[in-house]
Amino acid sequence: MTGGSWLCLLAPLAGTILILLGGSWLPRVAAGWIATTSVFVAFAGAVWAFFGVRDSAGHHGEITTAWTWLQSGSFKVGLELLVDPLSAMMMLIVSGVSGLIILYSIGYMDGDEEERRYFAYIAFFVFSMLLLVEGGNLLMLLIGWGLVGLSSYLLIGFWHERPSAVAAAKKAFVMNAFGDATMVLAFFVLIAHANSLSFGVLNAHLSSTQANLVALGLLGGAVAKSAQIPLQTWLPDAMEGPTPVSALIHAATMVTAGVYLIARTHPIFEQARTIELIAAGAGALTLLVAGLIALVQTDIKRVIAYSTMSQIGYMFLGAGVGGYANGMFHLMTHAFFKALLFLAAGLAIHALAGEQDIRNMRGLGRVMPFTKWCFLAGALALVGVPPFAGFFSKDPIIASTLNIGWYGYIFYACGIAGAFLTGLYTFRLWFLVFPGEPSPFVREHYHDHHGREGAWTMLVPVGVLGVLATVGGWIQWPPLWEPITHWLAPVAPTLAAAEVSSTQEYVTSAVTVLVGVAGIALAWAIYSEQKLAIPAAPFWRRLLENKFYFDALYDRIFYAPSAGTATFLRREFEEPVVLQTGPDLGEATLETGGLVRRIQTGLLRTYVLFLAAGAAGVVLAFLIAK
Amino acid sequence: MLGPDTAWYLAVAAVLFGIGALGVLIRRNTLVVLLSLELMLNAGNLALIALSRHWHNGAGQIFALAVMAVAASEVCVGLGLVVALNRRDLSLDVDTLSELRG
Amino acid sequence: MSTLVVASAGNALVWIVWVVAAFSCIASGVAVVSFSNPFYSALALIGNLASLAVMYLLLSAEFVAAAQVLVYAGAVVVMFLFVIAYVGPRHETPWSGGPSWQTIGAAAAAGALLVEIVVAVGMQASGSLTHETEVGATFGSPAWIGRVFLTDHLLAFEITSVVLLVAAVGGVILGSHTRRATV
Repeated sequence: MTGGSWLCLLAPLAGTILILLGGSWLPRVAAGWIATTSVFVAFAGAVWAFFGVRDSAGHHGEITTAWTWLQSGSFKVGLELLVDPLSAMMMLIVSGVSGLIILYSIGYMDGDEEERRYFAYIAFFVFSMLLLVEGGNLLMLLIGWGLVGLSSYLLIGFWHERPSAVAAAKKAFVMNAFGDATMVLAFFVLIAHANSLSFGVLNAHLSSTQANLVALGLLGGAVAKSAQIPLQTWLPDAMEGPTPVSALIHAATMVTAGVYLIARTHPIFEQARTIELIAAGAGALTLLVAGLIALVQTDIKRVIAYSTMSQIGYMFLGAGVGGYANGMFHLMTHAFFKALLFLAAGLAIHALAGEQDIRNMRGLGRVMPFTKWCFLAGALALVGVPPFAGFFSKDPIIASTLNIGWYGYIFYACGIAGAFLTGLYTFRLWFLVFPGEPSPFVREHYHDHHGREGAWTMLVPVGVLGVLATVGGWIQWPPLWEPITHWLAPVAPTLAAAEVSSTQEYVTSAVTVLVGVAGIALAWAIYSEQKLAIPAAPFWRRLLENKFYFDALYDRIFYAPSAGTATFLRREFEEPVVLQTGPDLGEATLETGGLVRRIQTGLLRTYVLFLAAGAAGVVLAFLIAK
Repeated sequence: MLGPDTAWYLAVAAVLFGIGALGVLIRRNTLVVLLSLELMLNAGNLALIALSRHWHNGAGQIFALAVMAVAASEVCVGLGLVVALNRRDLSLDVDTLSELRG
Repeated sequence: MSTLVVASAGNALVWIVWVVAAFSCIASGVAVVSFSNPFYSALALIGNLASLAVMYLLLSAEFVAAAQVLVYAGAVVVMFLFVIAYVGPRHETPWSGGPSWQTIGAAAAAGALLVEIVVAVGMQASGSLTHETEVGATFGSPAWIGRVFLTDHLLAFEITSVVLLVAAVGGVILGSHTRRATV
């Protein structure tokens, strides 16, 4: 099984290096196939590792070390990979979904000038994400963490001639860096008090303050990476990147890393239960806020982005109350249907030559039926309608909040409200784009790809994901059969507080489905049949359109003072002092030279005088020395 | 030894050297500069001879003869320069021969 | 400085001769530097050389004294006089106008050198100038000089002759007419 983990990790890296070495000699399409093949090889490695864990006794997993990487006194960190149930599950999800999306990219990015760079970056991203989930100690996890942040920056800003893309990339990177910093501070506390960064150290008994600090630092990193409140503003902007990038990084894998982190480091969070509940609270708040903002978005990708933010809120809620398996299961199904939604949207965008405004896309379903049905499957999975995938994964999360205390009821209410909002915004999107007569815009701009809706490299992954979004949830239906919970039990057992009775489970499921369908019905009434008008509510409309003024607030708190300080320093210090140093030195040298030049009078007598004076001086020196 | 001690001779030599140095530094006529140079060389010679007598070492007198020979050669070359300058109708004032200027 | 004057007629005579010679030496040196007509300066140099020759005689350097008169006064100064006459009258007024920076600097440098030499000789030599060795009658005689030249200091002798040769050649080249054909 360890061979599988090494294969899984290194295959995408090999793909990147091959593409880099190929340079411009490599045909553009070949770069895409190299990347795709390397990631499917990684998937094979992940399958191998999965079977290895399954067949091992106790399913405890194994750490494989390449060499000792850092050593300082008694503190040692090795280049380690960990293969255990949790990491095997993540490896399968990451490599599988990535492979499909990279295959899709071959069709989507066809014809782009810098296609090879794209595939090198994306293969590198897959490597980084696999390093994150396979890392055998906290430091390896951090390395993967940082590298996915880098890949995200590179890929968001892929079309670097666009200033908006560059700005979005910077924003994402800076906010992620904040999270990285808090994580590193947490690691410092661990090193100081437990002298180790292995996963075992998380079980060490720390004082309550230390545990809280560590958990808080880890939470900061998770919140930044997963775009939860208060560090969520970068995710909508990240839609500047190509659609496959949005699907892979900002839906299926990277943004879910925060959930993985909480599951992996759950012993610390259980020692700092308050912080864990704060994580759940942040998730609950985010799922509401994101759902509300999604109601007024007009860019198809941004609707799906806010939906991602909202669903990750559900995952945080699930993991925060102690149901790690619930959170991980929702991560899996979400990867399926969110990637599906993004890729289907990408089919539409590609067919309309880059148009992303949903107000122009009415009636697209008539000319793109395959896309319409796949998108519908994804939407139903997202809302949680049985038998689609989201139904099985979302409801247990909402139910698990019932037994933890009075605040659990608040979380419950948030979850139910969120389900309503999900139905509403998702089907607002679907009703505005797909059914009905094609709009003039669609008629004018739609162009198909040799009679099909897209290249086969684009259609096949969408189809596969459509199937997965439909049947992917059938693998677990609490409380009837729970293979995933059992699978993860050795490493991330569900807390007792998150266990619920069957009755609570069934009731919650029913309520959630009803509420979701109610949302769909409302959307149908407003947007499809136009029986009801959109309520005016100008205050709410302004609030939602400005995304609850988070951007404006951060701009005023962080950006404006920094920019002001930078301008001030440049004007007062850099230009007068630093930049002047060069010319000043030059002038000083010239002046000194001019002064010294006066000795060269050309007169013989002056030179002889200097000679005589010098001789007198030397003799004087000798006399004094004696 | 009869007469003044060696130190007196050395004093005379020192004064003569100073006068010669002054002449080299102050005078502007090339020929007079060369003459003052001769004064300085002779002062050196006097010191050599005096100390040769003091320490009963013949090398001093030998050295003095060599200095004399060298002084003669130097005068020969220097006067050749003066003649060449004169033939080109250049001034003999050292202050005007000032092309080695920075 | 031991000034033990032995009261004897020979000693007194030597002292008188020395005073006269030293005085004329320094006076003629001042004259060389001061005259505005270079011809007079060259003539003053002759006086200087003659008084130096007298002092050499007092120091038992007979051959050197003779060489001084023959070579210096007889050849070098004559050359000077030839060239001064050839070049023509060049009057210069070295002492006109106030003292310039050059003059002050020169006086300072020369004075410093003088003082330093006196101090050096006075300080250092206090140990080594006390013992005077007696010299024999042959010290400084031509035969003695000749023997020393050709045995102990042969190298100096040969090199000196080479220097003279080179100077002669250089003088001829410098004095030759400028070539107009090839530049």
